[in-house]
Amino acid sequence: MSHAGQNAIGLDVGTSRIVIARRAEDDFRFESQLNAFVAIPYSKITEGVLEREKIPHTVQLGQIIVHGNESEKFAGLLNAEMRRPMTGGVLDAKEPDSLGMIREILTTMFAGHRAEKRQKVCFTVPAAPLGAGGSLTYHEATLRQLLTDLNYEPVSINEGLAIVYSELESSNYTGIGISCGGGLCNVCLAYLSVPIISFSIPKAGDYIDTSAASVTGERANRIRLTKEDSFHFNGFFADKVHQVLGVYYDDMIRSLVTALKDAFTRTSNLPTFNRPIPMVLSGGTALPPGFRDRFEKLLWEQDFPVTVSDIRLAQDPLHSTAKGALVCALSDS
Amino acid sequence: MAQIPILDASVWVERQAGRIADPVDRLRFLRREMRQGTRLRTRPRQGTQPRPKHRWRQASLVVGLIAMVAIVPVPTGTAETFAKEERLVVPIPKALLADLAPRVWLVDKSGASELYSNGLRIDLTFTVANRPRSRFPIFSLAGGAEPVDEGRQPVGIVYHTTESNLAPFEEEENHRLQRIGRNLIEWVRQGRSYHYVIDRFGRVYRVVEESDAANHAGTSIWADSRGVYVNLNDSFLGVSFEGRTGAVDEVTPAQVAAGKVLTEMLRSRYGIATENCVTHAQVSVNPQNMRIGEHTDWAGKFPFAGVGLPDNYSIPVASMYVFGFDYDSVFLRATGTRWRGLDLAELRVARQSAAEGLETRQYRAVLQHRYKDIASALKEKSEEVMK
Repeated sequence: MSHAGQNAIGLDVGTSRIVIARRAEDDFRFESQLNAFVAIPYSKITEGVLEREKIPHTVQLGQIIVHGNESEKFAGLLNAEMRRPMTGGVLDAKEPDSLGMIREILTTMFAGHRAEKRQKVCFTVPAAPLGAGGSLTYHEATLRQLLTDLNYEPVSINEGLAIVYSELESSNYTGIGISCGGGLCNVCLAYLSVPIISFSIPKAGDYIDTSAASVTGERANRIRLTKEDSFHFNGFFADKVHQVLGVYYDDMIRSLVTALKDAFTRTSNLPTFNRPIPMVLSGGTALPPGFRDRFEKLLWEQDFPVTVSDIRLAQDPLHSTAKGALVCALSDS
Repeated sequence: MAQIPILDASVWVERQAGRIADPVDRLRFLRREMRQGTRLRTRPRQGTQPRPKHRWRQASLVVGLIAMVAIVPVPTGTAETFAKEERLVVPIPKALLADLAPRVWLVDKSGASELYSNGLRIDLTFTVANRPRSRFPIFSLAGGAEPVDEGRQPVGIVYHTTESNLAPFEEEENHRLQRIGRNLIEWVRQGRSYHYVIDRFGRVYRVVEESDAANHAGTSIWADSRGVYVNLNDSFLGVSFEGRTGAVDEVTPAQVAAGKVLTEMLRSRYGIATENCVTHAQVSVNPQNMRIGEHTDWAGKFPFAGVGLPDNYSIPVASMYVFGFDYDSVFLRATGTRWRGLDLAELRVARQSAAEGLETRQYRAVLQHRYKDIASALKEKSEEVMK
C-alpha cells in the first residue's frame, strides 16, 4: 500500500487526550499524550530531575509546568488537580495557558519528526453542539494557526466523520460514527463519505466525572481513574463511587440517545438509505465493558428513524479518531 | 427548488468503490465522485415540477425514436418475425427446460415455524402481509402490447442479496452476526422487500406472505415458453441471501444448503420451472437508458448448482431479445465471467434482425418501442388502481 503524502499526520485534539496517527508500512502508529498540565513550585533540583528524566516541562513565572502524560503522575504525587487547556471539546477560554500548553504538548509529540515543508496534518474539530453555536470558529482557527506556525499544512475534519473514515470502510464510509470523548459526544451520519448530519452534545466523560465528584466529594481526577480502571455496566457495586458512576453514565447515554433521535427526526432532508446502516461507538468514554450493550438497549427503546444494522465498538476506541483523520489526510494527498 | 438526493442513484459509485481494496484509495475515490456529484442525481420534492431540461430530453428521445421507427420498415406482424426466428434461434438446452419439480410437503406447522419434508424449516416470527398479489399480465413472445394471458400464482423465483452490512463469519462474532441478521430482517419487514430472507446461519425467514407481492424486483423482465413477464413483483417470489456482492464470504455453505431446500419447496408448491429461477441481475432493467442490470446483485457467482439448479446464466436474457435492451462495460465487469445468456440473446437479436432484413440497431428500436408501449400501459393501469 503506498500513497502520496505518506508522511501525513492525523491529529485528534480531544479534551482529554491528544493523539497523533502516522502511517507505518501497511499499518498505523499512534502516540498519545494527556491534554493536561500541572504547575509545581520551581526549584533548581526539581528542574534538574525533570531534565535528567526527560520529562516534558516548561518553566514560567516561577513555576514548573509539567504537561502531557506525566502531569497525571505529578498531580497524584502533589494531590493537585490537573489543569486542562480544553473544556467541552474546545479551547478553554478561562484557562490563560490553554494555547501555550497545547503548543507545548504538540511540540513534544512532533519532536523527532521534523515537519517537512507543507506536510499535511488533518486535525479533528467537534461539531456544533445541538441548539448552540458555541466557540467552534475560534477553536478551529486557533488550532489551524498553531499548526501553520509549526510549519504544517492543516486541514480539519469533523470528529464524528473521522470515526466513519476510520471504522466504516466496509460499508463504503456510510453509517453513523459516534465519538464519546471527554468534553463532548460527537455524532456524524455519512453517506458514501459525505457528512449529512453532524452534531455534538455537551455530556460526555467530564460530565460524568464532575457530577460524580460533586456527589461523592472525591476529586474529579480520582473519579476518572476509577472510571477508567474498574467501572463496568450491569454489575452490582458495593461502593458509592461505582454506583454514582453508573447513574451518571446512564444519564449521559440517555441524553445521547435522545439527541440522536431528536436530531434525526428533525432533519427534513434525511435520506432514505437502501439498506440498514452501521453505527460505531468510539472514544475513551465508550470503553467500560457493557457500554455498547447499554447504549443499544436504550436506542432500541426509541423509535429511531434510521434502520441500524449493527451497533459496534470501534476496533481501537482510543485511536480511531486520529486514524480517521489520518485516512482523510492521506486521501487528500 | 428543494431537492433531496436519490441515494440509490449512486449504485455505480458504490459498486466501483467496493472494488477498491485499499481504504485510503477507496475514500479518495468516493470523495472525488461525491464532490463532483456527477453520479448522485437529485429528484424534486413531491409537488414540484420536473426540470424542463429533463422534459426536453425525454421529448427529444421520443421524437428520435419515432423518427427512427418511421424510417425503417416496421414488420407488419411480429408473429411472422418470430415464426421465422424460431428456425434460427439457438435452442435452449434441454436441461434448462421446465422439468418436474421435486415433491416437498408440509410436515408440521406451529405459530412460529413450518417444517417441510426435505428438512426445510421456515421461521414465521417476522411474517407480515403486504398488498395481495394482483393478477399479472403475460405478454406474447410474438409481439404486441396487449397481454395474451393472465397469471395468479408465482411462476418463478428471483434471487437477491441483501447488500447489507456484514460481520466476519467467525465464532467470536456470534452475537454480532445474530444482531445484524435480526436488524436486517426487521428492516426487510418494514420495506416488505422480499418473501424470504436466508440469514448467514442458513435460517430461512418468511417475511412477506407468499400470497402477497413483495417489493423486490422493481423494473424487471423475464420470459419463458408461456410468455413474457414485465415487472416481476407479482409474478415472481423474492428470495434474498444475507450477503454483499464482493464480500469475502459472499454466502455461507449453510445459506446455500438452505437456498436449495427452499427452492425445492417453492418449486414443488407452485410447479416452478428451473428456467424461471433466476437472479436479480438477470431480470433487472433500466428503462431510462434501455440497459440491463439496473441492479447487479448476483450478477455473478450465484451458486446455481448448490441450490439444485442448472447454470441459468446460460439462458438468453429475455429483456435483450424480447425488448431490445443492451448492456454496458460496467455490467460486464459486474458479471465477472461473461454469461453465456448474453451471447445467446445477442445472437437471437442478430438473427431476428437478419430475418427481418433490418440492421440490428433498427430492429432493437422496434423492440424497444414495444417495451415502451407495454410499460406505459402498465403504468396507466397501476395509476388507475391507485385512484
